[in-house]
Amino acid sequence: MLVEFQQALADLVAAPELCRQIRANPSLLRQRYDLSQREYERLVAMVNQRGMALNCMLYRANRLAPLALNLPRFCRAMGARLGPLLSEYSMLHPNTNVHFYLEGERFGHFILAKISEGFDLEPRVKAIFDEEFSKIKLGLFATYTAI
Amino acid sequence: MHRGKALVGLLNNPVVPSIIKYAPNLVEYIDVIPDRLWYDFEHGEAIGGRFHRVVSAIEELKQCSKGRVLGGHGIGLSLPSAVPIDVAMVAEVASLARELNFEWYSEHLSMFLVSHGSVPNSQAGLGLPIAYDEESFDIIRSKLDVLKRALACDLLLENGAVFTPVPDTTFSEPEFLNRLYSELNCGTLLDLHNLYVGLLNGVLSPREYLEQLNPDCVHEIHLAGGDELAGFYTDSHSGLTPSEVWSWAYEFTPRFKNLRAIVFEFHESYFEKLGLKGIAAELERMHELAEAVASGAQLGHVS
Repeated sequence: MLVEFQQALADLVAAPELCRQIRANPSLLRQRYDLSQREYERLVAMVNQRGMALNCMLYRANRLAPLALNLPRFCRAMGARLGPLLSEYSMLHPNTNVHFYLEGERFGHFILAKISEGFDLEPRVKAIFDEEFSKIKLGLFATYTAI
Repeated sequence: MHRGKALVGLLNNPVVPSIIKYAPNLVEYIDVIPDRLWYDFEHGEAIGGRFHRVVSAIEELKQCSKGRVLGGHGIGLSLPSAVPIDVAMVAEVASLARELNFEWYSEHLSMFLVSHGSVPNSQAGLGLPIAYDEESFDIIRSKLDVLKRALACDLLLENGAVFTPVPDTTFSEPEFLNRLYSELNCGTLLDLHNLYVGLLNGVLSPREYLEQLNPDCVHEIHLAGGDELAGFYTDSHSGLTPSEVWSWAYEFTPRFKNLRAIVFEFHESYFEKLGLKGIAAELERMHELAEAVASGAQLGHVS
């Protein structure tokens, strides 16, 4: 089914680990998606193309862009801890919005939820987050009235 | 051969007004991304509706549009996706098209939406490739029908930057575009820089592609520059048009007798790098090309 083929392709570019799994064991595609033989063969070929690495990088860069723009100091302060958070966020919210305030606000709520679940942020980083998230909320609030 | 001169212009972004102020005579056409003129709240009933327009940007665009032609260039409808068309977004596009008087409207021949999510396209042009076969053609045909009814203007589809082409397809990409034109009267927005991206990443031969494409299809051309990322070349809209892309423009544009616009795309985050003078020089060169093509002059490419 074409809808499954397209979903599989989108899932692959969003998850380098899934690409690695499919390269090692292509039959996983059949377990996860309802594919014709031709679609299956196309995906197996595509996941092994050199350009799949670039698809994955661009997906990641494009998910990071709105967050780096709206939460720049928080992203820098998080350092190596940001990567796993971004992966978790991308899996939880596979859809994106071209407007960065909306994406930033959703990510902010995700961080708040993580904190309430016990995710540890040192006070200095939390203060940076609070300041930058407030600016996003203010910016977004202004758009509510711009009908 | 003498024909009307193609319009020269820019893909709209927040710094385009400053370029128009600096060089008003060089910008005749503006490609407008409608998706950047609203905030899509999806479930926005509680805050007054789904689409909240960026009124200041629209008003600024109206000022810029005086004496110029505007066209729409959407990214949100994802026509090749095997999911129903977003009728609310079509209505919003149509409303903006009427308000801004789009002469024509283009979308991408790439997939951005899937049934459980979307592919982000915030910076570096990531749209996913599609299978050029009957099934995709039928999906696009039915959605183009919806768009045609809503917009009542000419429709174009743009070739994307492809990094992983779908193998074993019924048609090549130019054959697919030719068929869209001959059967559905849907023109081609030919992004020459995307062909360059395909060349540098080893997935297509631009010359072969351009020889296959019916020149009558081409109603608009996009020029742009990109940069390298981890050994790949991307369509990041970060630079001026590379020399090789210019050479294809000089060689093939005279064949495009239905060409209406030549557009330079850059992302506003690279404005400082490109500079007003750099962008103005690019526009001047585009005018030289358009005038030479219109007058039938001999074209020579100087890199």
